[in-house]
Amino acid sequence: MSSAKRKTFCGSPEHTLSRRAFLGAAAGVAAAPIAADMTQLDVLQESALAGELKKRQKHCILLWLAGGASQLETWDPKPGVETGGPFDKIKTNVPGTHISELLPKMSRRMDKTCIIRSLNTRDGGHGGGAQLMMRGRKDEPNLVYPDLGAVLAKELGRADSKVPDYVEFYSQTEGRSSARLTPGFLGARYAPVKLYEQMSPPNMSLPKSVDADDHAARAHLRDFMSRRFAAGRKSSALESHADAYARITGLMSSRDLFDIEKESKQARLRYGPSQFGQQALMARRMVEAGVPFVRVSRAWWDSHGQNFETHLELVSELDHVMSTLLDDLDERGLLKHTLVITLGEFGRTPRINASLGRDHFATAWSCSLSGCGIVGGAVYGKTDAKGEKVVDGEIGAGELFATIYEALGIKHDKEYHVGSRPIPLVNPGIKPVRDVLT
Amino acid sequence: MIHIRRIALLLLCIAFGPIASAADLLPADSSIPQAIDHYVDAKLKSEGVQPADRADDATLIRRLTLDLAGRTPTATEARAYVASKEKDKYVKLVDRLMSSRSFVRHQVDVFDAMLMRTANGKPKSLAAYLEVAIAENRPWDKMFRELISADGASDQTKGAQEYLRSTVRDIDLMANKVSVDFFGINISCAKCHDHPLVLDWTQDHFYGMKSFFNRTFENGDFIGEEEYGYVSFQTVDGDKRAAKLMFLDGKPIDEPQIKEPDDKTKKELKKRRDEFRKKKQPLPPPSFSRRMQLIDAALSTGNDQFLARSIVNRVWHQLVGQGLVMPLDQMHSMNAPSHPELLEWLSRDLIANGYDLRRLMRGIVASKTYQRASRWNGSSEDRPTPKLFAVANVKPLTPRQYAIALRMAGQDPAAHRADTPEADFEKWVEGVEGGARGLAGKFEYPGQRFQVSVDEALMLSNDENLQRELMENALVRHLRKVEDDRELIESAVWSVLSRPTDDEERRAFAAYLAQRKDQRDAAVAQIVWAMMTSGEARFNH
Repeated sequence: MSSAKRKTFCGSPEHTLSRRAFLGAAAGVAAAPIAADMTQLDVLQESALAGELKKRQKHCILLWLAGGASQLETWDPKPGVETGGPFDKIKTNVPGTHISELLPKMSRRMDKTCIIRSLNTRDGGHGGGAQLMMRGRKDEPNLVYPDLGAVLAKELGRADSKVPDYVEFYSQTEGRSSARLTPGFLGARYAPVKLYEQMSPPNMSLPKSVDADDHAARAHLRDFMSRRFAAGRKSSALESHADAYARITGLMSSRDLFDIEKESKQARLRYGPSQFGQQALMARRMVEAGVPFVRVSRAWWDSHGQNFETHLELVSELDHVMSTLLDDLDERGLLKHTLVITLGEFGRTPRINASLGRDHFATAWSCSLSGCGIVGGAVYGKTDAKGEKVVDGEIGAGELFATIYEALGIKHDKEYHVGSRPIPLVNPGIKPVRDVLT
Repeated sequence: MIHIRRIALLLLCIAFGPIASAADLLPADSSIPQAIDHYVDAKLKSEGVQPADRADDATLIRRLTLDLAGRTPTATEARAYVASKEKDKYVKLVDRLMSSRSFVRHQVDVFDAMLMRTANGKPKSLAAYLEVAIAENRPWDKMFRELISADGASDQTKGAQEYLRSTVRDIDLMANKVSVDFFGINISCAKCHDHPLVLDWTQDHFYGMKSFFNRTFENGDFIGEEEYGYVSFQTVDGDKRAAKLMFLDGKPIDEPQIKEPDDKTKKELKKRRDEFRKKKQPLPPPSFSRRMQLIDAALSTGNDQFLARSIVNRVWHQLVGQGLVMPLDQMHSMNAPSHPELLEWLSRDLIANGYDLRRLMRGIVASKTYQRASRWNGSSEDRPTPKLFAVANVKPLTPRQYAIALRMAGQDPAAHRADTPEADFEKWVEGVEGGARGLAGKFEYPGQRFQVSVDEALMLSNDENLQRELMENALVRHLRKVEDDRELIESAVWSVLSRPTDDEERRAFAAYLAQRKDQRDAAVAQIVWAMMTSGEARFNH
């Protein structure tokens, strides 16, 4: 009975620790007339470990390449073979490592970046692929897993934070609904602040009808009423109501966080005129202010036709934005605490179709990890000569997530509880890629 | 594995002992509130816990009106109820609320959320069916039969097929959802391997349940069922096994073995399906319906416990705020009820009385247990676990309840007078409820681990339209005309929170008004806003 086969986790025999813990609780049931209170194990309880981690805050910026970027035109070039396409590979500042010639700026920064070339994630649909690559596993019929941002908001955020702990940029409409983010069973506290059409979240400014003094005064009155009501009453929902209102002033005062005009002209020029670049700058701005997770989405990489024109444009933009972001973070001393990921829902077929496009391909594709907890310059995994399959170091979404968690100092087998059921951050038996972790 | 199972089995016996037999239960002719208070009090006594007192009248009318009718009482209703000296005023109130149209509208919303809300959201509506069924208090076993047979052809069952249509593209999900919704049992763990913690559920159960649905498909706007088809699955050891048609009791059901038809017959079947689809009519049932077998198996004596226990637990949870079994979809032998005999008694009573859900609701709200205060006056360390039902729970309002509560609070207190005829009042209430629809769409439906989002707090604090709704309404306009502070504050608290005010509150609000003498109109609006967004207004307590 191999745990790797299993798709879902329910506290299986291999997972001895949680099983024993559960039997222990069950034994308590046997001894006491009242059954052990399963809700005591609730997922919302803060662990001492999580508190410890928050003292040295870490961050993550995910550059989400929506629609699926081609590994062959980025991190795993195969020039000269029939599937290779027109672009060449170039040397990097890491001896022996080559990447696509569309990434000249990144080629001089590969000592800060690790490439994983051996993803086999098996889901080549936009919706299923995006869910899988944002949650690290498939949902169950009655259980929605939290996505990466929600987990990191919980693990790396501060309960009393004055800044949002999960922000998402997604300006283009393509793929936005299929890549929809969710806090899953972690609940609304860890839902993302979504920045789609507008670059600042709604309801962050004073309403016209109420001035700042009155706004504060009536909030004070509201608190007075709520506190009186809460005395002698106990419910986590009621506490969350108080918490939500308590965060308002802080969040409203972080309004400037969303104002790109507050960045110097020089900084803005440096990231370039593209929306993607400006949003990457915003992500850096937020990370610096203490936001644990920002996803910057760039759509639409789905190059079923004219793959090479699309990638010439988008990879060049990525090259500039990503290298600027890494430099900027590094100069500010943030890179060693910030993990920068490039990832999409899948890669693209080695086969070039009749429209000179590449189609969806989840069998052998690449992503990159830079900064916090990562061995710069590492290359993990290998595909065959044509890039059709993984020949070394094959991993799935679970292993990638385990690696991301460990890079950020979070144990990949840490467990949450939904009722009585222990739910580890990644499915049991899944291991991180230690080779790329410092 | 065997070793572990033995330990678990042993634990099972120690923990729960033999399940209470019918003879051990309170007599069947006890009333529901008698049975509830008997079992709950017995447990409190054995734990040495003194429960909270009965809630005051103002709290009870708000609680009952929200729980039964999905709305808050008007200031007039609340004042009249508190002032009344009638001995049977509580029972009369229950009767009045349960016979109101609001009751039906609220229960439609509750059951729609219970049956149609999937893990991924995207609520579809079963309202067309529920409106007819709930208005006539259709028995729950009959509703189960209609929803599973999915025959929405008659006026009485119109829209029933929407229940299965919501999961028809994923039969695994359908099997599990039916099991969760009607039997309180989540079998999804058993899909890939025998449930490791619960001996009751094996892969055979999951695929046995799936077999009731594997021939089910969508034909146009209706649900159809194929003549043939079987389920097989892979065991954890990699063997392929044919699934037996089997309910949760684990007894395989005999059925005719139907060979897969030849291509010609398949074509004819398809042609027939297409004809019905074009005519927009439901496909007649197959010669042997696997889905009908589920209905028969689930309603057979003995097995009917699954259906009865689950709905008792859900209705109890809805009214009391904490199920007799938590979580609601984990009703299995390793997760004992807090009050096993009570659950048994209530299930037996429900079956004996024709699955009458209104009778069950009426019985629960008549109990002392339901009527307790939600405030615990002892030290917080001594606060009893919710499982003892020693203190009432605070329950987050549903989006519809909260929106209606806010709209209701914003009405002119004079709009409902003590002498307003009941028929006119019902019509007026319907208007208020209808006006709350848009606002309801802005809130999140509370699940079992509900948390209020900061988005909600930001929206109620800063959204321009909502500021107008909360601060420039008929109540505020009325209050601005009241010169006496005391009267103003009293009136505001009755309208928004359905209760009398007290000295501390009076002092705080009067001070607020005094500080803003030159901008009294704005201050009045701010006071109303503070009450409407307080925890007290957001929860049913």
